[in-house]
Amino acid sequence: MDSNDFADRLTASRIWRSVFRHGWSGSPLDRSLATTSNVFFHLHPVKVDRRSLRWSYTFGLGIISAILFLVLLFTGALLMFYYVPSVERAYPAMKEIQLSVPLGQFTRNMHRWAAHLMVLTVVLHMARVFYTGAYKPPREFNWVVGVFLLLLTLALSFTGYLTPWDQLAYWAITVGTNIAGYIPLLGTALKQALIGGVEVGQSSLIRFYTLHVAVLPAIMSLLIAVHLWRVRKDGGLAANERVEEE
Amino acid sequence: MTPTKTGTGKTPPPETIDNVFPRHSGKTYALAEVMPGETPMVGKGPEGTVFSYPVVLLWEVVLFLGVTLSVFLFSLFKSAPLEEIANPLVTTDPAKAPWYFLGLQEMLEHMHPLAAGVLLPGAFIAFLVAVPYVDGACAGAGRWFGSTRPLRSARRHVGWIALYGLVVMPAYIALDNAFTLRELLRGSAPQWIAQGLAPGGILVVLVLLPAVVVRLRRAPAREVVMALFTVMFVAAVVFTVSGFLFRGPGFELHWPWRMPDGYNPWDAL
Repeated sequence: MDSNDFADRLTASRIWRSVFRHGWSGSPLDRSLATTSNVFFHLHPVKVDRRSLRWSYTFGLGIISAILFLVLLFTGALLMFYYVPSVERAYPAMKEIQLSVPLGQFTRNMHRWAAHLMVLTVVLHMARVFYTGAYKPPREFNWVVGVFLLLLTLALSFTGYLTPWDQLAYWAITVGTNIAGYIPLLGTALKQALIGGVEVGQSSLIRFYTLHVAVLPAIMSLLIAVHLWRVRKDGGLAANERVEEE
Repeated sequence: MTPTKTGTGKTPPPETIDNVFPRHSGKTYALAEVMPGETPMVGKGPEGTVFSYPVVLLWEVVLFLGVTLSVFLFSLFKSAPLEEIANPLVTTDPAKAPWYFLGLQEMLEHMHPLAAGVLLPGAFIAFLVAVPYVDGACAGAGRWFGSTRPLRSARRHVGWIALYGLVVMPAYIALDNAFTLRELLRGSAPQWIAQGLAPGGILVVLVLLPAVVVRLRRAPAREVVMALFTVMFVAAVVFTVSGFLFRGPGFELHWPWRMPDGYNPWDAL
């Protein structure tokens, strides 16, 4: 039995057909179903305009941001296996990750650099969308979703910044949250709600950690799904509307 | 779709379904043909689409591998920083926010925190949210620097305005650092003017100026919005770079390559 034969029998089996309800013949119907009958892939349209795939149009910045988010979820989960969000144990846990956990330092490096890079690519993605006029009707709402995704990215990065509990983290968060304290009327209350007291301490660490590993990633995942789905619902990338005139 | 040249040398209008099947010709018959095709694209001209599966999926896999590999390789050579354990009693010098908030921290050096940390950034976010509702014209979408007017002028405007921002914003930082408007006005003006309105107002005027000029030249809303976005974007970059690279111990301005006390801004990423 050669490999083709095996593949044919496998994809024709009842178990396989219970998962994928379409064939793989490469016919237009099968290719359409591969997109529409897959919960993850159906955020894409069945067909996309060639113009929207031009590298010089998007530079792939949106997809790259989403990929970095996945890298961050994966490396973040690995770091969570060892990290303890307590003032006494956080810093020793960081040392342990770096010195004795296999590939610990490397995993932490990937998490940190991917996080910085994601802030950068999200900002550049926004500039790309702006300068190509891709926020214009009917895509206004998706632009607004994108602005919130940018703010979420900053919030995720900022809350993660405290977790190593070193001098860099402590003073960066102290400086950062002090700015929030200047908001009229709400400022002091907001700052205290954020850091759970008058200065950065155990209650800040656990709040930032919870926001960083649970609340914000959940909102982020949902909002990314909405963002991608809206791209399809709004007719794909704005490049599709481009009228060739020159 | 490439327009074909006709004998007269004129380019015919883009080929749409109306050119192939005229709707109001008074004919009682039409030319039709059954085609083997992939989609029923009714009412649209010849299409230039590809299947998401597998074309887009493959591109995404390639990008995924490329991005992951880049981060992977970088992480092999450069380690994330870890300083001494947090100590509330010992302030680091300089004490800096994460790099993406250093634009805000730089602004704090020039005006009251209410203006620098809340009002101006708040206005920036509000502007971003409002962009598509201010400029609602669909023309020019899907094209770099596209506008309702010919492309060349809009692109040139953006270039000039970016250059303006790159000159004016560092000048604002350097001049205010040299003469410190807040100190000059101290005593002679109420605090809210000396600390807030004067330095904040100057920055706002610098940001609005190109947009006003563009508006006076009767440019469409798209180009006014583009002028505002460009100045704000360049300003945000300049302030962030200044806060990140040019601020050393005591948050004083220094050349990045001549930082005192062996301070290296890159260590604090």
